[in-house]
Amino acid sequence: MGATDVLTPATRGELVAALARATPRTRLLAGGTDLVRALRAPGAEPDVLIDLSGLADLAYVRLDGGTVRVGATITYAELQRDPLLREHALCLALAAGQVGSVQIRNVATLGGNVANASSCADGATALLALDAEVTTIDGAGRVTCRPLGRVVLGANRTTLGRDEAIVELSFAALGAGHRSSFTKIGSRTTVSVARLSCALVAGVDAASGALTDVRVALGAVGATAFRVPTLEALLRGRPADERAARLLADGVVQAIAASIPERPSLPYKEAAAVGLAYDAWNALALCPPCEPAWPAEAGATTGP
Amino acid sequence: MRLQLTVNGTPRGLEIDPTARLIDVLRDELQLTGAKEGCGEGECGACTVLVDGKAVASCLMLAVQARGREVVTVEGLAVEGELDTLQQKFVEYGAVQCGFCTPGMLMSAKALLLQNPTPSERDIRVALAGNLCRCTGYSAIVAAVKAASGQEAAPLMELPADPGELATEATSDPETLEAAREVARRAAEPRRDEEVE
Amino acid sequence: MHELRYVGGSYPVHDVAQKVTGELVYGSDFTLPGMLHAKLVLSPIAHGLVKRVDASRAEALPEVVRVFSCVDSPMTTFCRARIHPGQDLVAHDETLFSEHVRFVGDRVAAVVATTRAAAVAAAALVEVEYEELPALLTVEQALSRRDVAIHPGGNLVYEYEVEKGAARAVEGAVVVESVTSTPRVHHAALEPHVCIAQGHGGGGMTVWTTSQGSYAARTVIAELLGLEYHRVRVVKLPMGGSFGGKTEYIVEPVVAFLARELRRPVKLLLDREECIRATMVRPATCTGITTTCTRDGRLLDFEAVSTLDAGAYASSTPDYGIHMTKKVTKAYRVPHYRHLSRTVLTNTPVAGAARGWGAPEMAVAVETHMDRVASALRLDPVEFRLKNLVEPSDIDLVTGLSLGEARVRECLRRGADAFDWTTRRARPVGRGRYRRGVGVAVGAHKNGMYGAFPEASNMALKMNEDGTFELSASLHDPGCGVITVMKVIVGEVLGVHPDLIAAGEADTAVTPFDYGTYGSRVTYVVGACAERVAREVRARLLEAAADLLREPVERLHVRDGAVWVKDDHERSIAYRDIAVLSGMRHVPSISAAVTYFATSNPASYSVQFAEVEVDCATGLTAVTDFLAVGDVGRAVNRGMCEAQFRGAVQMGIGYALCEQVVVDEAGRSGVAGFKNYHIVNAPDMPEVQVLLVEHEGDDGPFGAKSVGEIATVPTAPAVVNAVNHALATQLSELPLTPERILAALRGREVSA
Repeated sequence: MGATDVLTPATRGELVAALARATPRTRLLAGGTDLVRALRAPGAEPDVLIDLSGLADLAYVRLDGGTVRVGATITYAELQRDPLLREHALCLALAAGQVGSVQIRNVATLGGNVANASSCADGATALLALDAEVTTIDGAGRVTCRPLGRVVLGANRTTLGRDEAIVELSFAALGAGHRSSFTKIGSRTTVSVARLSCALVAGVDAASGALTDVRVALGAVGATAFRVPTLEALLRGRPADERAARLLADGVVQAIAASIPERPSLPYKEAAAVGLAYDAWNALALCPPCEPAWPAEAGATTGP
Repeated sequence: MRLQLTVNGTPRGLEIDPTARLIDVLRDELQLTGAKEGCGEGECGACTVLVDGKAVASCLMLAVQARGREVVTVEGLAVEGELDTLQQKFVEYGAVQCGFCTPGMLMSAKALLLQNPTPSERDIRVALAGNLCRCTGYSAIVAAVKAASGQEAAPLMELPADPGELATEATSDPETLEAAREVARRAAEPRRDEEVE
Repeated sequence: MHELRYVGGSYPVHDVAQKVTGELVYGSDFTLPGMLHAKLVLSPIAHGLVKRVDASRAEALPEVVRVFSCVDSPMTTFCRARIHPGQDLVAHDETLFSEHVRFVGDRVAAVVATTRAAAVAAAALVEVEYEELPALLTVEQALSRRDVAIHPGGNLVYEYEVEKGAARAVEGAVVVESVTSTPRVHHAALEPHVCIAQGHGGGGMTVWTTSQGSYAARTVIAELLGLEYHRVRVVKLPMGGSFGGKTEYIVEPVVAFLARELRRPVKLLLDREECIRATMVRPATCTGITTTCTRDGRLLDFEAVSTLDAGAYASSTPDYGIHMTKKVTKAYRVPHYRHLSRTVLTNTPVAGAARGWGAPEMAVAVETHMDRVASALRLDPVEFRLKNLVEPSDIDLVTGLSLGEARVRECLRRGADAFDWTTRRARPVGRGRYRRGVGVAVGAHKNGMYGAFPEASNMALKMNEDGTFELSASLHDPGCGVITVMKVIVGEVLGVHPDLIAAGEADTAVTPFDYGTYGSRVTYVVGACAERVAREVRARLLEAAADLLREPVERLHVRDGAVWVKDDHERSIAYRDIAVLSGMRHVPSISAAVTYFATSNPASYSVQFAEVEVDCATGLTAVTDFLAVGDVGRAVNRGMCEAQFRGAVQMGIGYALCEQVVVDEAGRSGVAGFKNYHIVNAPDMPEVQVLLVEHEGDDGPFGAKSVGEIATVPTAPAVVNAVNHALATQLSELPLTPERILAALRGREVSA
């Protein structure tokens, strides 16, 4: 009891020094909404606990040329409100607003959420659709930058070293020709872990109205959030119309079925995925709102 | 380890277990038992306190994370014995039954009003989404918060009267009292043995 | 109806000031100097025998005082649901620690340490070896496996059948069948279970509880530990809700035992996970109903078979099973009624008392069934019910007791009107993504235990020398305003503001015997006792005043804390002066003590209307509008009476749509906290309109009837009926989770 050494770095230099002391039993504390509970399990006491909440200069949202840079200790409450984010990465701001309750959003951090690697994490789903990269620093002061997909491998599995802390998430800013959305289905309308989620990004050619850049990220339907490249390729170049919505819905349903074939929740998720896809598409407001026939059959769409 | 923070306006320096949660320090070290542990996982909101003006679940925060910050608990709402408007409205609108969720509700509502002085009903319900109640069905609580923001409906409750007032309300008619005193005085005189009843 | 001064007003709960400041010390806040902390070690398996307990690693921790388990503790049996030594239908099937563990969460050991953290750490170090036995996780398994007895005597722990009236064959009668199932549910009171006990030199003990009955706690503890009752003092502490979950003695016996053994104060405070897994749940039930009625909609015959899942220990579920057979004929006139109820043990969390005591479970079955009948007859659901509901003074076919001022028809008519039922029901439900429907349901519940169990309360009331009053009664306030109700009743009779009356909670050393808060007896029976004791004191007050004023008693009345001479605005004498002047004579105190026996048991009713919107994409159901009508006799504390309905509706909506404690194939509950046990939160809760119907007439104080349980009885079926209207389905397996709704829309059966 009480054997933990708590380090409270306030600068980058102090952070590196703290990380240099990390052992396999060391834990990094960002917001704490995941870790504090885990620490209560008997035998879970860390030898060293590095509290990142004092690193004020790690909580920011900046536009750096064409890149949005988000500091790892920024809270979901701050992300939800940030005007820069709402303009250049709306799906992430929307995802942030749907995480937990006010109390959770006030302390939970984007970096902490990514490092925790829950398969249902809303922030990570949006980041994946944004092709985000993760910048880390380690106990030797080495700064590394790699795509999100190479950091988060699966449920609670990351490639982060024991002395490695996430310091920044970054991605190309979405410009005027892009729209994005984040849609989530939980077991109730607020304060619920996602049962399925979709972050959708679409670029539209101003002249032709055709979809240029399409990115579909699905969350809570696999060990980790994933993109659906075949679906994205199918949609690229097509007009942004009702047929595209239908293809999106079909593709999302197929992707879910392929991802969790054995899960008992599959019938529900396949059925609910139709609504998820249409909601995600309609939120982009690229065409008048589209609707499938209700109740939609799993995997089927409107008429012949 | 040593922890310095401000609690309800008073700077405190405490020796704490490094992995102690904020709720443990508040309840066990500072005897501020207003914040309640209903679930220990940040879902019920009964442990909600303000940290730098933001509502947080104190069961999900290590005390060390509050270092150098201002923590306000329900005990810090009343100023010199005068109830905060929110507390007063909770009384007037019947927003309290068993009361276990009440401190957390008050702190979440306080945080909301600090940020948004005239919230809509929807704003209030979303702000309280992380505060569970099993007794009231929430509507009296929402009405109380709305009233505290100056948007009053009809208050529900008869306010508890000032105790001193009630006791002195009833007075006897002076003449009647004098006559009664006389009756009592005579009856209190010891009986003389030769008197026959 | 004569003018009432205080009854019918709206008062906050008596301790509201302490609650809004965080001052109030609840059971979970309570501490004593030198207090030790206990933590239970619970079985991780659903069925087995304890072969070995090794507490050496736990006891090696410096802060650990001792570890107790089945190997070194008495194996005296008790029943957690006993309310009186003279009670029959209770099985002594539980011990402090189990050698034969019967569910995941069964008590195996207890660690006592100087700090809570140490107790928690040590509990994880207690090693227990089990020999696993086959686990029977469903009622079907428990009934079919004769070779596996959860308790000696077999797994069908109780069976009860009632048949009343006569069947009559009618030409062209319509027969309708249904099967409904309701889930195991967590009461979800915000404060976890807690108990503190301290043994005294000389063999006595004080136990501080947050239970709903202190005298019975004393009985259970004293009998278990072989103590004389007068040495065991049980004190009720303020509590953060109960809803039946703290009616039975789950933590009290073990804490009392630890305190006696260690001769130091011991506190056991459970965490949320332990509350869900290891205390008690509302029983899961399955009810099959067959009704016969005439073509024009009159019920002829009602037959039902109900099965209750008792969980691992019988507890109060045999009684619960009996009470499920007493719900239908409180509401409906039926010439012939037959009901078989079976209570079955399984290796799952223990089931027991829950708000409504079988009425919500039956209401789901009955009210969804009645909608089916209405549909088969092409009758509107309200119209059909009006053809069959009871009238005031009807005799309950099953109990033989008068239903009293049974105003259920008026509730239904006035509610249908206020809710604009006919218009809303006729509206198209829609064929798009969002479909709206409306539903109605009727509920009935008793007022106390009279007719099934001796029903009485005892109280004493005295006037202080300054004209204030003190009520001595074993009250148990779960937080809904029991104490305030008593103060209002006494205040009304005595003509003083309720705030001039002090009323505390139960303390077996000091307050006279009362059973406690359950069985919907508090307003109707305990409240009537308060009215009676106040009348006695008022009589004494008037006698003393008559003496002092030299006036006959008939010429005097009470008002505003003084006695007045009728028709004479000049002459009055304040209570304070009566107290002082009489006190100087031969009446040192104006006081009385009474016993009140209940001699009636009318029904309370509620009719509830729900409007829902079902999202056919996600399967989520929103309750968009709700009206609760209550036949309450008279609202004593109007504001809190309405508030009861609003809270009760929150519970019922959760029961209908999302709350369930499911066990997996290892008998483990899949839910361990509020993260996956969702109770309705503020954004999802509709505004609930409340309409009170007040006809007085029965024996309750000022005609009041009990309200706390009836308020939640018809909620879930109103919601279910609304969903079935919206989707043109006949769903009757609760809760109506998104999975079930989407599967129903696709015509498939799926378990949630």
